[in-house]
Amino acid sequence: MYHIQNVDHYYGTKLVLSIEDVSIPEAAIIGLIGPNGSGKSTLLKLMGFLEEPTYGSIFFKGRKTGPFTSDTRFKVTLLPQEPYLMQRNVFENVAYGLKIRGDIKRLKSRVEDALTQVGLTPESFSRRRWSALSGGEAQRVALAARLVLKPEVLLLDEPTANVDTGSARLIRKASLKARDEWGTTLVVATHDWQWLFETCDSVLHLLHGRLFKGGLGCAVYGPWKFGWEGFLQKELEDGQVLVAPTPEEGKQVAILDPSRLKIVLSSKSPLLKWKIGSLNGFVTRLFLESNGQTVQTAIKIAELVVTIRIQREQVELLKLYPGKEVGIQYEPQEIEWL
Amino acid sequence: MFNFLVMEGRGTVRNIGRDKTLVMMPCLYMIALLVVFSVTLQFAKAAGEEEILLMATTTSTDNTGLLEYLMPAFTEKTGIGIKWISTGTGKALKLGENCDVDVLLVHAPQAEIDFIDKGFGIDRREIMYNDFVLIGPTDDPANISGKTVSEALQAVRSSSNIFVSRGDESGTHKMERALWQGADIPTPEQETWYRQSGQGMLPTITMAAELRGYTLTDRGTYIKYESAAAGKPSLVILVEGDTVLLNQYSVMPVNPKHCPSVKYEKAQAFSDWMAGEEAQQLIGEFKLLDKQLFTPNAAR
Amino acid sequence: MDFIQEGFVQAYALLVSLDPATYSAIGATIRASTLAMAASLLLGIPLGYVLGYFDFLLKKQLRIIVDTLLSLPTVFIGLVIYALLTRNGPLGEAGLLFTIPGIAIGQAILSLPIIIALTATSVEASDRNLHITLMSLGANRKQIAISTLWEVRLGILAAAVTATGRVLTEVGISLMVGGNIKWHTRTITTAIALETSKGEFGMGIALGLVLLLIALTVNILLAGLRRRI
Repeated sequence: MYHIQNVDHYYGTKLVLSIEDVSIPEAAIIGLIGPNGSGKSTLLKLMGFLEEPTYGSIFFKGRKTGPFTSDTRFKVTLLPQEPYLMQRNVFENVAYGLKIRGDIKRLKSRVEDALTQVGLTPESFSRRRWSALSGGEAQRVALAARLVLKPEVLLLDEPTANVDTGSARLIRKASLKARDEWGTTLVVATHDWQWLFETCDSVLHLLHGRLFKGGLGCAVYGPWKFGWEGFLQKELEDGQVLVAPTPEEGKQVAILDPSRLKIVLSSKSPLLKWKIGSLNGFVTRLFLESNGQTVQTAIKIAELVVTIRIQREQVELLKLYPGKEVGIQYEPQEIEWL
Repeated sequence: MFNFLVMEGRGTVRNIGRDKTLVMMPCLYMIALLVVFSVTLQFAKAAGEEEILLMATTTSTDNTGLLEYLMPAFTEKTGIGIKWISTGTGKALKLGENCDVDVLLVHAPQAEIDFIDKGFGIDRREIMYNDFVLIGPTDDPANISGKTVSEALQAVRSSSNIFVSRGDESGTHKMERALWQGADIPTPEQETWYRQSGQGMLPTITMAAELRGYTLTDRGTYIKYESAAAGKPSLVILVEGDTVLLNQYSVMPVNPKHCPSVKYEKAQAFSDWMAGEEAQQLIGEFKLLDKQLFTPNAAR
Repeated sequence: MDFIQEGFVQAYALLVSLDPATYSAIGATIRASTLAMAASLLLGIPLGYVLGYFDFLLKKQLRIIVDTLLSLPTVFIGLVIYALLTRNGPLGEAGLLFTIPGIAIGQAILSLPIIIALTATSVEASDRNLHITLMSLGANRKQIAISTLWEVRLGILAAAVTATGRVLTEVGISLMVGGNIKWHTRTITTAIALETSKGEFGMGIALGLVLLLIALTVNILLAGLRRRI
């Protein structure tokens, strides 16, 4: 569906997004995670063709395209983070998209279907003013306004963040139905676990405007001190020391790639405690993924949290349980910098 | 061409220039509006503004009510409609010079003659006069009562009593300046006892009353002031009848050579009527609060 | 102080007795301001939208100029319009001097910066999510413009109310361009100026009260409009 190539997007002089190459298949459900300010909303805006990337191209269904083109108009819609409705009643808000493209056959029933789809009974909600709705209801109306267009792509920016749990559930349900019934591609920026790990086919990780292959590692910020020749070290809050090779000029954030970490049994020996490449922490969370085989294991080391995916057999082998002390081994040379 | 000139707001889309309609639309819209306006304006113009004579006159003329009284008779007799703008003499002459009016009725003979010399006006015709009077506080501190104008002005100056002037290039103001000259006194611009109001006659009288000073006024405005003061005016007439105090009103059409668009024939008709028997009689009969104001003196 | 009381009494008398001169002035005032407001809204709202919505070179400077024009003195506008409409001026042949449409032109220029500046501000202050929503639902640029203006309609209405107030009460333009000709271009405001200069303060107050009544009526109508939209 999408092919994003060499996109560098600036706001003024600030580089906010830098993506080399990523593709989004049709009818997929893609999650987008990353801390605030990582560029999720910007990426969604570009994918929604609300803006044009400063540099680079976005291909939609094979064609390079941009805002206000017939390729993308009426086919791609974005639901923003805050519930927002125009100053008219619910019916008019939902009908707006259809009216402006002159598509008014059976308007009333289509609007009412959309409202039902998001769990709002048309009889009681159609005539309500925009100001007479709760946040969750308003967000659902906004979603209905987009669903009624039967879009090919639905981009959701934190759809469950500012709403009550009931609305969050209904929003998820309606979006899934769109994918199942019409083949709508969903791209969802969210912190919501249910979305990410139960619903999404795959998850993109964004950090400081860049996409991460292989998952979001643990990002380690400064300050760094000079250690041995060619190495920097960071003292964690509990006194442990993380060692990493000196980075290039300007790079300040180190990434611990979880796929390169090894969980070992914690060692009580004081000598081993100071071994380079070894850290102690304890398990905080175990999560079985939908494939039934891999377990996400979150381990807290001082102020850092790494999430490592291991096979369930290993969990049994290491006798892991939340609260258990474990050790982490890493190769300092393998640490990457941002 | 407009590539880097315009960026879409609320989220940027560069290179708007690609989309020509974006820049064309507002321009076309403005042009369309201008066309519509011009067409409607043409209709506004065509709406019978052709038949009416436009006159510029002075506030003192209009404020006496003479024109309201006199002009209907003119229209009835000649069938010519007339509208007039009353303003200061300076502006009235300017309007004539700018060809914005067809005929003038003012009372500033020297300025009128200049006007004709410059080719702006033509066929000046004296129509009527009223007179100016010197008024002052009832107790007359400068003791000017009964004197000639020159003597009176000398007395005001030497006693440093307050004198309020129009100070606005009006006919009255010009008359006043001429009187100072006639008395061999340089116009007391810088003197502290000389106050210039820059306003119309009535406000000037009011100011003089407040300051308990002297001023020069046309009789008509004084009559109105006296009446409004309900029998107890703070300022009374102290000097009158001196020939230099005569205030001559004249009608003067705007010169068609200078302004080809003026309605010269109608202006002439107006001038003829004003000098004619009917108008002259009406002028003489016009009374302001039971007192005759103007003396008709058109040449027969 | 008596003239203020006198003014109240006279105002009532003028209106109830259907005094023709007063009603002629009322008509002139209403005709001129209506023309002026219609023209300035028609021109000003789209220009305000453009100024508020787009980013372009010299946008800030243009905004400063528009804001400065908010302080145009009415006599200044009157003089400039006179210079344009005078017989030998560029638009002299149009015969607009000393007419109501002529006054309306000047008043439209008075009102235009108000409409442009306040519309631009309303558009700029509108929620970013409005633009996202409109584009997401498939609006093209024209539809975005219309829908945005509708969403900020209360701000535009405020602009109209402000401008109407300014236009109804100005004297400088009406006097210079209209000439204060009785029965033709004498508006309420020029009539007040005239009566005051004649020393008829009571009449001045009376006419002032009449003007306030007109303004009150207009604002009641606009408030009703505000409720309905």
